[in-house]
Amino acid sequence: ARGKFVIEEADLKGPLDQLELALLSSDVEVGVVDEIVGTMREELVGETRTFTTSTGEVVEDALRTAITDVISVGQFDVEERVAEAEKPLVIVFTGVNGVGKTTSIAKLDQWLAERGYSTVMANGDTYRAGANEQIREHAEARGTKLISHEQGGDPAAVLYDAVEYAEANGVDVVLGDTAGRLHTDEGLMDQLEKIGRVVDPDMTLFVDEAVAGQDAVKRAREFDEAVEMDGAILTKADADSNGGAAISIAQVTGKPILFLGVGQGYDDLERFDPDELADRLLAEE
Amino acid sequence: MVLDDLGSSLRGTLDDLRGKSRISEDDVESVVTEIQRSLLAADVDVSLVMELSDSIETRALEEEPPAGTPARDFVLRIVYEELVDLIGESTELPLEEQTILLAGLQGSGKTTSAAKMAWWFSTKGLKPAVIQTDTFRPGAYDQAKQMTERAEVEFYGNPDAEDPVEIARNGLEETAHADVHIVDTAGRHALEDDLIAEIEEIEGVVEPDTSLLVLDAAIGQGAKDQAREFHDSIGIDGVVITKLDGTAKGGGALAAVDQTDSSIAFLGTGEEVDDIERFEPEGFISRLLGMGDLGQLAERV
Ligand SMILES: Nc1nc2c(ncn2[C@@H]2O[C@H](COP(=O)(O)OP(=O)(O)OP(=O)(O)O)[C@@H](O)[C@H]2O)c(=O)[nH]1
Ligand SMILES: Nc1nc2c(ncn2[C@@H]2O[C@H](COP(=O)(O)OP(=O)(O)OP(=O)(O)O)[C@@H](O)[C@H]2O)c(=O)[nH]1
Ligand SMILES: [Mg+2]
Ligand SMILES: [Mg+2]
Repeated sequence: ARGKFVIEEADLKGPLDQLELALLSSDVEVGVVDEIVGTMREELVGETRTFTTSTGEVVEDALRTAITDVISVGQFDVEERVAEAEKPLVIVFTGVNGVGKTTSIAKLDQWLAERGYSTVMANGDTYRAGANEQIREHAEARGTKLISHEQGGDPAAVLYDAVEYAEANGVDVVLGDTAGRLHTDEGLMDQLEKIGRVVDPDMTLFVDEAVAGQDAVKRAREFDEAVEMDGAILTKADADSNGGAAISIAQVTGKPILFLGVGQGYDDLERFDPDELADRLLAEE
Repeated sequence: MVLDDLGSSLRGTLDDLRGKSRISEDDVESVVTEIQRSLLAADVDVSLVMELSDSIETRALEEEPPAGTPARDFVLRIVYEELVDLIGESTELPLEEQTILLAGLQGSGKTTSAAKMAWWFSTKGLKPAVIQTDTFRPGAYDQAKQMTERAEVEFYGNPDAEDPVEIARNGLEETAHADVHIVDTAGRHALEDDLIAEIEEIEGVVEPDTSLLVLDAAIGQGAKDQAREFHDSIGIDGVVITKLDGTAKGGGALAAVDQTDSSIAFLGTGEEVDDIERFEPEGFISRLLGMGDLGQLAERV
């Protein structure tokens, strides 16, 4: 037809190279970048564009679709899931050291309370110095019951006790913390699997930070293998404007990002919005 | 150290060069592409990667390999030299009286590193003290206290005080007899203006000999801006990279070192107080590229 051009591989080289750099600068993992760029190349070659659009514009549109496809994977309404679940609903938080698991528990505690649910916190971090004191302070500030054992105790036992407490006292949601651990620590990853078996959580939330780079893919995959995650929380989004880690995590696990942590206060928790992240990523180029 | 798949494609390309003594432009280009990939996969800043690969490419094409040197070894030596040039030697820390201030993002490993560094100085025969000024994070006081107990070093903190500047001042007075003062601070990031102003005030009171930026090995491209902002506010003299016991390569530290014109001081390799090493360029670069034996090779060529 008149005014239409077929896009050839050569036309795409410039725009796709630029795109590759932009994605890498946004912390999307190299393998994930390859996949996104590869899919786009396949889809775009042979497509037609009109006289008034540039190849760059066509690429950008395709990118928005590609990114949105990846990060909207498996999205579900947490509020609905909580409402429909048989109580107590047991949620376990996992992730590497220092990403914000404990803080996210305190935030979610408030989020649940605002929606009318009662909660109990369980400190499955019986390892790190000051872990008991940290979560106790959060529980006190929130006015929430905390189940904890001595340092060095069995984390699975703590969570188990919390579930029993919730059953006996009609508590709606158990928020189970775990110690931070790197996915390379086999002993601790085995321990996490054991917690999963003993507690059999209704929901497992993997916590990672928005400032994380290439490693996000590896740890998401390993944690998902140890205790399958239902979704992820991406913290420290206030420190970072890129959020490529979200794309990487969603792409390798096929699990949704559910919440963003945007600060250290209890109300610094937002529902994750795939479109908003796509906007932010695209605005940067 | 873990050698994994990241470096294997690079090794593959370089193996293709094995035995060749002349390098063609195509050879150089394919090696440089692989090096770029390895660096990007190690979280090295994108623009830094481009600069590095440009210099490597130019040198590989322009310089004459010493007679009898296989092309592969020659290119590898250039890569190694360029990286050493960028990160340099370990931050100088004389074994004498001094004050060190720790700064960094939330959860990067400051408190743990403070106890580890104190432990390290104590093994060198010095008397260290850790001062905890974090009044914000729940449990921060207890965490630092327990970690310093494990390290068997002196500790100062005040769980009832509210002003970190005040704690820093009192802490330095109370521990005046110690040789090395390590001042821990609350986590903060570059966009938190009030907290950046706060650490400037702490720095003013502490007057550290060395201010160290504590970076998680897994930090991505944000490392550059964070490092620049911390440097602008308190002046960064060195970097501590933590959590290197995982698979993250710590490439973010390259941008940090570049932005702050400093160097790397310590590496953290676990959660216990003795999981600390002084930085040493050869091992770090080998790990960054996912390859062993680089330093030795550079010496041989
Ligand atoms: N800026 C910012 N800081 C956060 C956020 N979430 C958590 N933090 C901070 O990150 C630090 C670590 O948080 P924790 O909740 O202790 O992390 P964790 O995963 O439980 O850590 P470990 O139990 O030691 O593995 C604390 O200083 C938190 O206040 C967030 O969304 N934004
Ligand atoms: N595996 C491993 N974990 C580490 C290392 N360094 C610190 N950690 C862990 O990382 C988490 C955060 O460490 P902290 O020392 O609390 O970090 P921080 O920077 O003081 O955190 P804030 O005070 O909240 O900003 C804890 O779970 C530590 O045990 C390390 O080298 N390896
Ligand atoms: Mg925790
Ligand atoms: Mg701390």
